[in-house]
Amino acid sequence: MTIANSSRSRKAKVQLFILRVLAYLFIGILVAMCLFFFIMLLLMSSKSNSQLQGAFSLKWGGHFLENLHNAWNDASTNIPRGMVNSFIVAMSSALITTYFSALTAYGIHVYEFRFKRAIFTFIMAIMMIPSQVSAVGFIQLAYKFGLTNKLWLLILPGMAAPVVFFYMKQYLESVLPLEMVEAARIDGSSEFRIFNEVVLPIMKPAVAVQMIFSFVSSWNNYFMPSLLLTKPEKRTVPIMIAMLRSADYSKFDMGKVFMFILLAILPVMLVYAVLSKSIIKGVTSGSVKG
Amino acid sequence: MSEVKLVNIKKVYPVIERNKNKKNVNGHRTGNLQITDQGVVAVQEFSLDIADKEFIVLVGPSGCGKSTTLRMVAGLEEITSGELYIDGEYMNDVAPKDRDIAMVFQNYALYPHMTVYQNMAYSLKIQKASREEIDRKVREAAEILDITDYLDRKPKELSGGQRQRVAIGRAIVRHPKALLMDEPLSNLDAKLRNQMRAEIIKLRERINTTFIYVTHDQTEAMTLGDRIVVMKDGYIQQIATPQEVFDHPSNLFVAGFIGTPQMNFFDAELKLRDGDYWVDVEGASVRLADEKQERLKANHVEEQAVTLGVRPEHLLLADKGIAGRVTVSELMGSSRHLHLTVDGKDVIIIVPSTGGTGNYIGSDVALGFDGSNAHVFSKATEKNLEY
Ligand SMILES: Nc1ncnc2c1ncn2[C@@H]1O[C@H](COP(=O)(O)OP(=O)(O)OP(=O)(O)O)[C@@H](O)[C@H]1O
Ligand SMILES: [Mg+2]
Repeated sequence: MTIANSSRSRKAKVQLFILRVLAYLFIGILVAMCLFFFIMLLLMSSKSNSQLQGAFSLKWGGHFLENLHNAWNDASTNIPRGMVNSFIVAMSSALITTYFSALTAYGIHVYEFRFKRAIFTFIMAIMMIPSQVSAVGFIQLAYKFGLTNKLWLLILPGMAAPVVFFYMKQYLESVLPLEMVEAARIDGSSEFRIFNEVVLPIMKPAVAVQMIFSFVSSWNNYFMPSLLLTKPEKRTVPIMIAMLRSADYSKFDMGKVFMFILLAILPVMLVYAVLSKSIIKGVTSGSVKG
Repeated sequence: MSEVKLVNIKKVYPVIERNKNKKNVNGHRTGNLQITDQGVVAVQEFSLDIADKEFIVLVGPSGCGKSTTLRMVAGLEEITSGELYIDGEYMNDVAPKDRDIAMVFQNYALYPHMTVYQNMAYSLKIQKASREEIDRKVREAAEILDITDYLDRKPKELSGGQRQRVAIGRAIVRHPKALLMDEPLSNLDAKLRNQMRAEIIKLRERINTTFIYVTHDQTEAMTLGDRIVVMKDGYIQQIATPQEVFDHPSNLFVAGFIGTPQMNFFDAELKLRDGDYWVDVEGASVRLADEKQERLKANHVEEQAVTLGVRPEHLLLADKGIAGRVTVSELMGSSRHLHLTVDGKDVIIIVPSTGGTGNYIGSDVALGFDGSNAHVFSKATEKNLEY
């Protein structure tokens, strides 16, 4: 009996070990595939133009700082300006999107009011409309009111983000017991304060996830900025990168171009690194039984 | 001074589809509640004067409207009709935060991202109390509840009993006019529950405020309450001291609900002989005690068929009386529960376990009872004829 048991448990252990190895192998391959492009980019940005024109090699080029200097101080492509613009837009819209979506989700989740259902359906319906369709009207409006080249015009519409709202609502339903809101009410908190001091901290993981998503999509957004921003000093990074394409390749320093691209993705990675820390599971565990 | 007065309070929940879904999860039944055009009537005709520093317990089976009543006092639920006064002030439309009450929830509802200290300090912080005052009050409450050691922990690092203490601590820090508790112990295991029950009794001596306590556990109701309010299907069944509820249950429901094992019921006849009330049951005839005689006489009760109720501990083995046969014998330690079949019905009696081999099963016995322990209920209204 015990012998049979132990041999069976040994077999189970071996199986588990093989499964683990396979799983790690699989994950390792995926990681390598994801990292490949970043490593290539890093390598390329370390090479001088002539090195890049020559045969392909995996060696470190040694011109990294030089490229960085050239890219940073480039006269035609003002990358620092672009990064500042992009950062203002991306950060503000990430903040606004997540805050107001969470607020809306909270309102729909916690309060009972007439037409709640209808409002919810309406918000969901907006999700179905492709942004390109509504963009046409939006752009026309912007031009008619003379609001082009205003960064806030790229930020404010983020307030209405049905997808983020939906995500927040799902999250709230799973983590926020109504008793907690009621406890805060009895503690004397105002409704707004309850949201800011009790609900928002509980939603931190969801907020972090959505902050990352909104930041990245806003940082990478080319469509709207390219239509609304015409002045060079208002351009965001994606516009600048796109404009490199029309440059003359024979004369252009490709090392610098790779450096531009590296700079363009750097903030995204930073934001991810910072925010992913707050995506910890189980923040509510322990507040409420069950 | 903190009197709470409820006058003819009524609560109607409009029937909305999404509400139904929400509540069904908690296993609520709307089975016997009155349903009108406006919706489900969860509570009605609820009138109660709660004196300063009184400990009131609302007790009743699941879905009878206890929580709803409590939540109306707290201001978390709108009062459909009726009036609520706290310290003589009309409170129907006052926001919860301005009622100066505190509440302990069944599932604790602690703020998960705050430490125990912050949880307890939150209400004081909102009142803009000074740092020193907050610190003093939090530590004082923590001292009372014996949670000083955990002040820096987050709720998830505490056991269920400790969390419940924190929840109580959060409620008592600001010395509310009334402390409302909704089944605060029902999430704890049996042993811890007994312990916390004793703690609540001690707590009460120390903080001395008005308590309204909801439970479906009759032991909690009997041990904690100055007065208990027994509810069923949204209606109050009886408001009285635990002793009174036990000795003079107002109707069949209360009689069956309070006391374990349940009161035994027999079909019987109430007779008047020489101006005295007697009950005839299964061949036995017992004269009611003088106190009951007076109550019945005052009500001009006539001879009639009644339901007789006698608690298991008041049925005694006798030489002659109600005949029954023992089917099950359970040794409970110092006492023994005997299940008998009397005229096809189940009857439980409690006998001392001292002596005897315990071989009761299958034996025929006779039961007697004292006239002071007999409860007579009208067959028609199920009311206690003493009332
Ligand atoms: N929001 C609501 N909408 C509709 N009906 C409700 C709502 N809340 C409660 N009810 C109904 O009102 C009745 C009383 O509910 P309540 O929560 O007061 O019961 P309770 O006595 O506290 O029961 P328990 O011991 O299970 O907590 C229940 O039958 C319930 O179905
Ligand atoms: Mg309840």
